[in-house]
Amino acid sequence: MSVVDDEDATLRERLTDEPGPALRVFAVVAALVAVEFGALANLVMSLPWDAVGTALPGFVQGVAATLAGVGDALAGLPTLLSRSVIDNAGYQLPSGEWEGTFMGLSPAIAWAIRVVLIYAYGFVWLLVGWWSYLVYRDNYRHANWAPVDDMVGRFRNHSWGLFGLAIIFAFVVLAVFAPALGPTTVDANIADPYLHSIEFYNEETGSVEEMYVGDANGDSQSRGQGGENVGPLSYDQYDRFHPFGTLPSGKDLFTFMAAGARVSLFIGVASLALAGGAAVVFALATAYYKGLVDLGIVITSDSIQAMPQLLVIMLASFVLSGTWLANLYNGGVVLALLFGLTGWPGLWRAVRGPALQVSEREWIDAAKSFGQRPSVTMRKHMLPYVVGYLLIYASLTLGGVIIGVAGLSFLGLGINAPTPEWGRAVSAGQPYVATPSWHISLLPGILIVIVVTGFNALGDGIRDAIDPQSDVDTGQQDQSAAAGGGA
Amino acid sequence: MAADSSRPDADAGTATEAADDRLLEVENLQTVFHTERETIRAVDGISFGIAEGETLGLVGESGSGKSVTARSIMGLVDSPGELLPDSSIRFDGRELTGLSEKQYERVRGGGVAMVFQDPLSTLNPVYTVGNQIEEALSLHRGLSGMDATEKAIELLEDVGIPDAARRVSEYPHEFSGGMRQRAVIAMALACDPDLLICDEPTTALDVTIQAQILELLAELQEEHGLAILFITHDMGVIAEVCDRVAVMYAGEVVEQAPVVELFENPRHPYTRGLLRSIPSTQRGADRLETIEGEVPTPNAPATDCRFAPRCPEAFDACREVHPEPVPVAAETADEGADHSAACLLYPENETRGQAVERHTSEGETTGAGAADSGGDAR
Repeated sequence: MSVVDDEDATLRERLTDEPGPALRVFAVVAALVAVEFGALANLVMSLPWDAVGTALPGFVQGVAATLAGVGDALAGLPTLLSRSVIDNAGYQLPSGEWEGTFMGLSPAIAWAIRVVLIYAYGFVWLLVGWWSYLVYRDNYRHANWAPVDDMVGRFRNHSWGLFGLAIIFAFVVLAVFAPALGPTTVDANIADPYLHSIEFYNEETGSVEEMYVGDANGDSQSRGQGGENVGPLSYDQYDRFHPFGTLPSGKDLFTFMAAGARVSLFIGVASLALAGGAAVVFALATAYYKGLVDLGIVITSDSIQAMPQLLVIMLASFVLSGTWLANLYNGGVVLALLFGLTGWPGLWRAVRGPALQVSEREWIDAAKSFGQRPSVTMRKHMLPYVVGYLLIYASLTLGGVIIGVAGLSFLGLGINAPTPEWGRAVSAGQPYVATPSWHISLLPGILIVIVVTGFNALGDGIRDAIDPQSDVDTGQQDQSAAAGGGA
Repeated sequence: MAADSSRPDADAGTATEAADDRLLEVENLQTVFHTERETIRAVDGISFGIAEGETLGLVGESGSGKSVTARSIMGLVDSPGELLPDSSIRFDGRELTGLSEKQYERVRGGGVAMVFQDPLSTLNPVYTVGNQIEEALSLHRGLSGMDATEKAIELLEDVGIPDAARRVSEYPHEFSGGMRQRAVIAMALACDPDLLICDEPTTALDVTIQAQILELLAELQEEHGLAILFITHDMGVIAEVCDRVAVMYAGEVVEQAPVVELFENPRHPYTRGLLRSIPSTQRGADRLETIEGEVPTPNAPATDCRFAPRCPEAFDACREVHPEPVPVAAETADEGADHSAACLLYPENETRGQAVERHTSEGETTGAGAADSGGDAR
């Protein structure tokens, strides 16, 4: 399909030869980035640079400080999907009019518009990703066909996998756009409520007054039977909209959840990257070299697995608390490390069997017999048979990590308070499960279940997509066709 | 054959004409497998050579050590297997035993390539046939992208796959058995080897396809000047493709001769038995002749003839003296020198007593080293 005649052309040559489609993709991506540039810069600035910075030598710190200044300036740029553009914070006058909100709409509707826009924006990114893959495939790729085409094709017909993808997409957008999605922010509502204030219309005095968020929170608590309650999709007495209701402390649950999603996603992905990477490398090495290498890793992993994972993590995070490591990302980094370091033996065990199996196949000997390097043999001829298993177990484990982190937070360990974490919400709502404040525990709980299910479904879909043999129907068709044609 | 020296280095200096024009020279190859109970001497001191453009057939029953020989040459003997230190494999004048894994990678494929028994399992089912040929091409000829694809199509055409341009992007499961084996051969040829080791390449195929593949191998050999080590248990296939034949029994080469000579004048009782058990050569017979018993598992250095328990012509000395490969007719014509057998019945122009004496003394000179190294290994 390539229009370049010279088939030897490198990707760069192909691009310069026919820049049209690539430029169109680039333009769209640039436009997408531009409307959210402030948020992107903000995200970069929100990383724990300070902790990294202090570990660096002086002159690097100087450079970092300069960069930080630039970053802060950029972060101040307006962004299309920020709360300042579509604001849902305001107050209602006795006439029923809303002051301060986006176009005078009610906070609920303004917030809903923002949520819809943000999810639409995320979806556009998804489409652009798909589109750029198509552009690359049709215009710039060497081969007209590659195995990944079939994988994509199989995944597109896998409804359970697509369901998982949809859930994970929703979860990832929630995590990535957490600051813009919440009706209020973590800073204002959860972390420093007494450093921020809101305006509200005081009916007694008939005037607009200002008060601390902390004080407002005190009047919007959800404390079940007989107490106050701000349930899902309702306003509190200061005209603040709470899509998921409030916590017992009066803080906004949705804001809490969105920020918690970010923490969960970070810990889950980081720990799995660590554990999965180690598991795959060890599995391929044990399967390829066998013998002493295998024995060494078996003993190591057995030793790690002999210890109860959650207890070790609790102990280690307790021991490490107070060190600089424990302060990185409010304890997220240390949790990711601990889950990664204690989690790889399980993954490794899951993929070692398939790796050993495939290492006995004759094509490994064949690859060796034409002099292929061990690293390439492992990567090309063994890894594809292992990845499916890894993805399945990784997605199960990812669910497990999310549950594990939630569990630790439930017990008051793990992520440092007051940084939001789902488990802490479940814990906070525990006394109110059977009261009108049921939402505090139930909504986070349901979200955890859905997200974990989503990861499993996605893993399932990817597994079936990667494994050509799972595609039984077409496989048989091809085989009979080949037999007929080859006779 | 210069079987009287177990020191490869010493031998290289006083090279006979054989060492000069021979591409592959295997001498006193001993491959052992250490198990918990015993050490199995799967290949026990065999020697043979292959000249450029020559086809050597390696024939024997299952378990006689044919495939282990092939894997030893390829350096693919995995733990718990091991080559004993006296073994020597010289390829193109270069000693292969003792090469590091890294150095061996360069020999494999580039110098020696291998075609395995089962063509389906040799091809990785998740990659297209073309992709796998291109892998070898990029490794050994530095080709990539479209160049590699073109070359792969060319190779597939060479091995007689119709519509190669379309077939190159198909998966192994879309190929029939014969075509798969052709593709595997194309993969081996992609490395541009000098020596092709075919480990029972036709065993998994039906007879008509088998004939086609053998024909193809003969053609390719002529075209590329390949030397071929052809491993099989099928005497019919041997007759078809080989120039010379080495008959293996229980880890040892018991007879070695040019193919016509071997079929016309089989000397070793085992070879005779093998030839008698080909169904087509005994038309009219009521029952197919077989060799009674089975191949013993060689788990100790030989002190006797391993075939003796099954041998119809065995005599007392056979159970006490280990036969060494000797020319079947020692002092006579040249063709006799090219025909050797490891049997106490030979050389046939000597008396039995003389022959036994000769085997005993040769066993002491060469066997001493083997016994020592066997002792070292344990």
